[in-house]
Amino acid sequence: MHISFLIHNAYGIGGTIRTTYNLANTLAEQHDVEIVSVFRHRDEPVFTPDPRVRVRHLVDVRPGGADAGDPDLGRPARVFPRGEVRYEQYSALTDRRIAEHLAAVEADVVVGTRPGLNVHLARETRRGPVRVGQEHLTLDTHSKALRATLRGVYPRLDALTTTTEADARAYRDKMRLPGVQVRAVPNPVPQPGIDPADGSGKWVVAAGRLAPVKRYDLLIKAFDAVRAQRPDWRLRIYGGGKQKDKLRGLIDQLGLYNHVYLMGPANPIEPEWAKGSIAAVTSKMESFGMTIVEAMRCGLPVVSTDCPHGPGEIIDDGVDGRLVEVGNVDAIAGGLLELINNDELRQQMAHAALKDSERFDPSRIAEHHVSLFSGLLVRGGPSLGGRMRGSLHRTRGALLGGAYAVRDAGRTALRKGRTA
Amino acid sequence: MMTLAPPAAHQHSDEEPVTGPRADCVADSAGGLTFDVADRGESGPAHLLLRRRDGEQEVRLPLTPAADGRLRAALPSSVELPEGRWDVYVQVADDEPYRLVPGVNDLRALVDRVPGGSHGRVAARIPYATKLGNLTVRSWLRAPHAEAGELHVGQDELSVRARAYGTELAEDAYVELVARKAQASVVRAGLTTDRSEFRFTVPYDALRPGLWDLWLRPYGENGSRVRIARLLDDVADKKPIFTYPKVTLETEHGPVMAGPYYTGDNDLAVKVAAVE
Repeated sequence: MHISFLIHNAYGIGGTIRTTYNLANTLAEQHDVEIVSVFRHRDEPVFTPDPRVRVRHLVDVRPGGADAGDPDLGRPARVFPRGEVRYEQYSALTDRRIAEHLAAVEADVVVGTRPGLNVHLARETRRGPVRVGQEHLTLDTHSKALRATLRGVYPRLDALTTTTEADARAYRDKMRLPGVQVRAVPNPVPQPGIDPADGSGKWVVAAGRLAPVKRYDLLIKAFDAVRAQRPDWRLRIYGGGKQKDKLRGLIDQLGLYNHVYLMGPANPIEPEWAKGSIAAVTSKMESFGMTIVEAMRCGLPVVSTDCPHGPGEIIDDGVDGRLVEVGNVDAIAGGLLELINNDELRQQMAHAALKDSERFDPSRIAEHHVSLFSGLLVRGGPSLGGRMRGSLHRTRGALLGGAYAVRDAGRTALRKGRTA
Repeated sequence: MMTLAPPAAHQHSDEEPVTGPRADCVADSAGGLTFDVADRGESGPAHLLLRRRDGEQEVRLPLTPAADGRLRAALPSSVELPEGRWDVYVQVADDEPYRLVPGVNDLRALVDRVPGGSHGRVAARIPYATKLGNLTVRSWLRAPHAEAGELHVGQDELSVRARAYGTELAEDAYVELVARKAQASVVRAGLTTDRSEFRFTVPYDALRPGLWDLWLRPYGENGSRVRIARLLDDVADKKPIFTYPKVTLETEHGPVMAGPYYTGDNDLAVKVAAVE
């Protein structure tokens, strides 16, 4: 089938961009895939698309680019919703270009990758293509104004995907979306290009923005308790952010400067995970929990707070990691020490983490998306051919080939502890 | 495979990320490195070229076919790489060399590294991304070497645990602090030893304001002096990561703020600054 992604900026760096490329590159093995970027601010994308993935833009804002200085860039957007965090970047020009794109889009499936673009998708996609909105954040993090807009518009989507079951439930419960398939599909995380950790290093590793929501202050305090019992273990925190000076102060105040290190940002992060034997997540909230999956794919068991929304859906507590109470320093320290003090348990969990995280492989995640898209295409009309058009033949070939078996995705085991 | 973003240096800047050919780099615990680059199908023999910054020196390593259609060059610990920063290029035949950018640097073997210290020398090479996002290898070659470990910051003193490689510690071994801007100004600190490990304490009030470099004198006054540094891990630039509290105290030079830090070469130093 022909799948067309609509994304804010395919030329930048960020979680949604990385996730979209990972998914698009994998889908391109069997399908026609394009990524349409609303903005283009540089010549080449930062992430490398598969050569089969076409990447193009709607508005060229490069210095000297075709649209630089267009007066409509300065006029406010009317379709892109005001309550969206990116609203200020959108304009009368983006409104027009996105509308033109969606009125003519040659695709079986159109996928929006943020709420503002999903609004365009729902309102402006020509008759024919299946409309799928993706939510990479969560319903409860949207502003009240945005939620009100989405409530009015999202019923016009064919499907809405969230990254967690918890968020999917929130959409089903709090918004009336009759006829819209609301489905949780986790973010894909590729197999790292390096060997997994061997579990011998006495290091705990954490990675993320140094932002208040990550609660690294709790992790540092918990590590004070870890050091009291196991001074031979140390902690590395990768990432940059506004909390750095505060966290530095806490490390110095607790005299942990030989045990806890603020490493700064690292990219790629995989080789850094591989230096550790345990990963730690102490967040108050994780809309998905990408770092948990990344660490598991590198062979680390993760000790994480059981915060909304993702960790509890990724970690199988006591099997491939540990879930501990949110905001509780003693619980975090206890979880870490349990794994530090028991080499055998730690190795067992590391092994399980490696195995259990395979379900996030892009090939498996792409399968979920394809299953959803295929179901919607079939549902879309009496004539399959009417909706599938020219790419039907290719798709059917792929399906018969078994590369992406179509099945009821509702029964496809996405949840932890089961295999598909 | 992972989807790679440009090196960390670019994540929070407006600078354009570099998109040159990438080299994946794997370190072994002996101090050797291997570099893997994509085989671009160019004709003619390819070499990995290490060019020492601010110098004429070059090291050429043959790139030979490895698995997955890639080319590999090895820099074993036995190949001497004089101390400094070495920019990494690929050169095909006599063409103009092109600079590489870091791909995946797998440096896990360097974390908590404990080298043999045989042959009386310690070699450390750490690949890293420069500010512009290019691949450079930082090399240290020390014979002998004094590796700083845990530092403990007290009310008015600094205690250091360290380990000597490639030298014995004689009975009259000591540590000296040398004022960077006035080499004649030297302060001694006694040390206690446990085989190759040693500990010493620097009383801050013995130091007048300025920067002080720390040296081990393993054979007392008459022998060589060995710079105390932190080299044996995967962190190319210690200064921003290995940071320590500063203390303020009264000295005969007036009130000062004092604390240890690592220099741009990862050597241990103490800064004493007069407080207004």
